[in-house]
Amino acid sequence: MLRFRHRMHPRKIQTGLSEGPEGRLKRMRQIVSGLIRYERVEPTFAQADEARQYAERLLYLAIKNGDKHKETMDMADFWLLEKDLIHKLFKVLVPRYQSYTTCFTDLHKLAVEYPGQGFPRAVLELRGNPWPPIVPRQRDTRYLLSNILLAGARKDYHISKQKAREQHQQEQAQGGHDEVLSSGRGEMVESSQAYQSSASSSSVDTGLSEMEGDDARSARGSSVDASSFSASSTSSSHRDSER
Amino acid sequence: MATAIQNAKCLLRSPMSYGFQNFCKRSYSSRKLTNAEVRRKRVELFDAEKERQLGLLTRVEKIEVRHKGVPEECTLIMNKDLSTPFNCAMHMHELLMTRSALALVNGEPWDMHRPLERDCDLQFLHFQDEDARVLNNVSLIYNDLKFPLPPSLKPRILTRIFINIFFFISFESVSSGSFVYDAALNLGDWKLSQTELNCLSRIGYRLSFADLRVQRLTIPVSVANQMFADNRFKAEQISAIAAKSRSGSEVTVYRAGDHIDLSSGPMIASTALIGRYSVCAVHDVESPTFGRLQRVQGLALPTQLTNKGPLPELRAPVSQKDVTTL
Repeated sequence: MLRFRHRMHPRKIQTGLSEGPEGRLKRMRQIVSGLIRYERVEPTFAQADEARQYAERLLYLAIKNGDKHKETMDMADFWLLEKDLIHKLFKVLVPRYQSYTTCFTDLHKLAVEYPGQGFPRAVLELRGNPWPPIVPRQRDTRYLLSNILLAGARKDYHISKQKAREQHQQEQAQGGHDEVLSSGRGEMVESSQAYQSSASSSSVDTGLSEMEGDDARSARGSSVDASSFSASSTSSSHRDSER
Repeated sequence: MATAIQNAKCLLRSPMSYGFQNFCKRSYSSRKLTNAEVRRKRVELFDAEKERQLGLLTRVEKIEVRHKGVPEECTLIMNKDLSTPFNCAMHMHELLMTRSALALVNGEPWDMHRPLERDCDLQFLHFQDEDARVLNNVSLIYNDLKFPLPPSLKPRILTRIFINIFFFISFESVSSGSFVYDAALNLGDWKLSQTELNCLSRIGYRLSFADLRVQRLTIPVSVANQMFADNRFKAEQISAIAAKSRSGSEVTVYRAGDHIDLSSGPMIASTALIGRYSVCAVHDVESPTFGRLQRVQGLALPTQLTNKGPLPELRAPVSQKDVTTL
């Protein structure tokens, strides 16, 4: 069970050393052993990316099964070329990673060297290693005075915008209501056209006018005061386009 | 004679005319106190009091100051009641002298120019510290940045009209983005135009080039009364402030250049730390106790955090309801 994001796609096996699949496996074992010993290795990116999965799997099994488990011991024996590393795996690394909920390794891409071989290189490291960090710690700038002021300004802006939106909504509701009261009840012929226009405008607009669309739909049954809806929704679409 | 008449006419036409007319009317009958005289008197009193307090130190004792932080942790042997955190910085690095806004002495905010009293741990704070909250939270900065407001108002705008500067009010939090200062400006109906506000800002801004050290002094009530006898607002408050002090009969004053003001502090080390400075608005407020006052609102940023663009517009106008906090 791998704890890092991993693209499951068939990869071309890199022999590199022209020794075939055995050569590749040997290289993988070298990298995993090196990683357990030095806690930070620097192979090519393709090799590091591949070896990472084996290292993770080995650590995961060691934590899960402990050193009394025969299959796990065989696995450790296979991947770790130098046998003193088996002790390190169970005595040092298993206690270290016992409580980890994340993966146990990190992979960093390095710049391609120029002039050089042209292979993208990478750093593969165990988490919690004693070396200086590769990614420098970012300064927390939240509490700088300027950022506090900017955060305050941003908050004010959102509050004012929300207020404006509410006011706009209220105005619309009031306007629609007034027109309902003022408009006569004899416009049955135009009502269907009015509904169509209102529905078309509401499909373009945002949440505000969608609500009106719902209202208009409910008004279709009665079709008495649909003219007022057409008036209000078209005005809203005008305002939205102005924004 | 002709030029004098011309000048008088110009004055009458100028936007200041109201204030000047008032001044001219009064100046014939009796001689008025000017701000320059008041300032001179206060500075003299301040110097005399400082000298008196130094005279009380008959024997120089040594204290151990343990510094934490960059460039290195070290222990300094300094003079008790004489050496300030600034003096400690002088022994270590110039950067500490120029950028430190405040010191932490045994974890407590301490002015850079305030003498150390006992063995202590010392830390220096600046505005780009990762944990600048220590500076922000106590709303120190705004106390500090408010400080130059009165000097910018005092000398130029009303050259010969005596103005009373009222006390600091800190009802606004740092994130509200502005600081205020209440003053009785005797402006009458004169509304300050944007150009005039800009001129005020520029005077405040110039203080950063003056690089004035902000000195702190604790003075007895008698001296304070003498010092602020000309300012009825402050004179009324001195006894109340003194009652809250540790000894019950002392007040703290701060001095930058020739401006002296009451404040509980702490304040920044120097006016050179003021980067951007802007007086944004002057509002008329009614105080239940003092009558009509002007509330001057401003914005400022420290030198370290100066951005290149113009200062943002004032966000929250001062509402009338805040006056009840007076």
